[in-house]
Amino acid sequence: MISVVRSLIALVAAVLVTSAAAQIELDYWHGFTGPDLPLMEALIAEFNAANPDVVVRGEPIPWGNIWQQLEPSVAAGRAPDVVAVNEDVVTGFILRGALAEMTPEALAAAGIDAGRFYEPLWETGMVDGAAYAVPVHSVMLVMYYNKDLFEAAGLDPESPPSTREEYLAAARALTRDTAGRAPGESGFDANNLASWAAGIPSPWMGGTIAYAVAAQNGVTFVEGADADFEPNFDSPEAVEAIEFLVSLVREHGVSPANATEGSEIDAFRQGQAAMNFNGVWMLGQYADQAGLNFGVAPFPQLGTERYATWGGSSHLAMPRQRNADPAKQEAAMRFIGWMTQAEQNLFWTAAGGLPTQSAVADAEGYASNPMTAVAEALDGTFVLTGFPFLAQFRGAWDAAFEAALLGDKSVERALSDGASEARSSIQDGLLSLP
Amino acid sequence: MATETARPKRGRHRSPSGPAWVPYLYLLPHAVLFLVFIVYPIGFGLWVSLHRWNILSDVQRFVGLDFYLRLVTPGSPQFTFFWKTMGNTALFTVLSVPALIFSALGLALLLEKPIAGRSVFRAIFFLPTILAVSVMGLLWRWMFENRTGLVNILLDLVPFTQQFPFLTNVGWAWIPIVVGTIWWTVGFNMILYGAALAAIPRVYYEAAAIDGAGAWARFRHITWPQLNPVTLFALVTTTIGSFQLFGQSHVITAGGPLRTTQSVMMYITEEAFTNFQFSSAAAMSVLFGLLLLLVTGVQFRLTLRDLGRGVR
Repeated sequence: MISVVRSLIALVAAVLVTSAAAQIELDYWHGFTGPDLPLMEALIAEFNAANPDVVVRGEPIPWGNIWQQLEPSVAAGRAPDVVAVNEDVVTGFILRGALAEMTPEALAAAGIDAGRFYEPLWETGMVDGAAYAVPVHSVMLVMYYNKDLFEAAGLDPESPPSTREEYLAAARALTRDTAGRAPGESGFDANNLASWAAGIPSPWMGGTIAYAVAAQNGVTFVEGADADFEPNFDSPEAVEAIEFLVSLVREHGVSPANATEGSEIDAFRQGQAAMNFNGVWMLGQYADQAGLNFGVAPFPQLGTERYATWGGSSHLAMPRQRNADPAKQEAAMRFIGWMTQAEQNLFWTAAGGLPTQSAVADAEGYASNPMTAVAEALDGTFVLTGFPFLAQFRGAWDAAFEAALLGDKSVERALSDGASEARSSIQDGLLSLP
Repeated sequence: MATETARPKRGRHRSPSGPAWVPYLYLLPHAVLFLVFIVYPIGFGLWVSLHRWNILSDVQRFVGLDFYLRLVTPGSPQFTFFWKTMGNTALFTVLSVPALIFSALGLALLLEKPIAGRSVFRAIFFLPTILAVSVMGLLWRWMFENRTGLVNILLDLVPFTQQFPFLTNVGWAWIPIVVGTIWWTVGFNMILYGAALAAIPRVYYEAAAIDGAGAWARFRHITWPQLNPVTLFALVTTTIGSFQLFGQSHVITAGGPLRTTQSVMMYITEEAFTNFQFSSAAAMSVLFGLLLLLVTGVQFRLTLRDLGRGVR
């Protein structure tokens, strides 16, 4: 009996030893915990099948928990081998020393070609000319619109508004108060709208919309490192952008006061709001809404200078290891390279994400994706990234927009208060960099 | 045993069950947990708050009381937001604690009467307590959503009332948070009061009835004083719980509008895990902990004095 147990133990040990020798095990943390999880797991399984010497273990963890755990895990020497990080935190992680640099040789060996990706996306993973993270997922602010309401208002349901003038014209045609009066008609009651164009909510989604319009006015929000990350979003261009959005509610009467992101989603689903500004991730919810005949279009150019929309992205990176194992690093780079190839990205877009590279946007297999309508906007995706303490800027920006929208402060005052809050917080953050 | 105690011993604390260190052995498990999970983190938090702490840095620069001084010097965002959210939290506590004590007492008094389905009602009032804060928050956000929430739909239907944007209105945004919190947690205090009511000796009421005391007099002079220890306990735990407001504001209003429903715990979390300013957040936590200790101390003194009078 004892000898049987002993030989079993020996056998198990032998299997363990040989598999350990033959296989490199990689831990991969990512936050794709929603409907996109099965697709991510299918990709991991496919990589594992194609690379018998590597076993990638994907661990879906909510994004916020990854941000909390990444640096302590690096400090404790227990970091995962690969991690997915988002555009708004990646620069901070790089500057605080949580992520390992990807040398040009390592990138080349893994088949990662920077030129393949949309430039702003690729730039997001870089600091001081060095690469740290490769784009794997991309989202943006888009416009959903109700085709039936467009037709009822005498608008062409196949050509949604794309400029400020077109938007205002369509918005007036789509807005009616409860007595059936249009904006501008005598007695029009903007406080009792029966149908309207699109609500401008607060704070985060409103801040996102305001960000896109200000970017269209040429605002860069925060200066670069050479100018000490000085916030510059109290400029006349930014004031113009916010004033326009506020005027949609107060002057034009085509957006209801006191909109929230949730109330606007409901109003769009129920056919009260003819348009809705939100992320590509809303597609599934709207598609499931019975009786909602809608289209997706690029976020219109409500600003005056250039085309821009808000974009976000996820990137694959390697956390810094205390005792880096070259074999593991090679395998991690191979995994990152494979995951970010056009073929895998095309498969991934089925979950609602946008192409990370033009090859996917142009691919035949992408033509049937409902998001093709917004693919043209990808070049104008203006990703908020590239400096540490982005949260400090974004918090101040959202608060400034909310104060202006709710009428708590004048637009100039809200933006100058916001800029001085951001200035103080960013300087404070810079002091705490190692 | 009697003979044991009668015989004089050298060790004063020598107990019949073994050597003097045995009781400490029984205390050890809790002491270890207490040291590891309470004392050590507090000490470490203090240390972090005195340095410019960065977990991945080799050197943690000592900055003394810099982060504390900033919290008492007007001008910085930290000063502005810490005290603003502190005020918000205090307002929430003032709004919710009396409501949570008196509505719990009211429910317990009603359910003390021998009515049909008493235990069913008890279960109904207690059940929300077991919900996760995210579930409760989503529910009440949905109830009070601007324009499309159930409350607003009802306001639209009822004559002479009209829709009201609770979530984007300074001040009124507290309504969904406070109402939701009462619905969510009143059951706990209700059970406490229910148990305490059942423990009041009936003879007191019989004696009072013979003396001709009315319902109010019986409540005022028997029930209320007899419930004093439970009221103290409920007051202290509910106050501490209210000061730790986090999830309800986080889910229902996200701290808005204009940061007016952001609690101090939410702001500390934002400073630590959104802004990655751990030392600043640690200093705020220490200051907040001290303030909470002060509030609890004052409460204890006031109510213990009352309690002493009640017993005498």
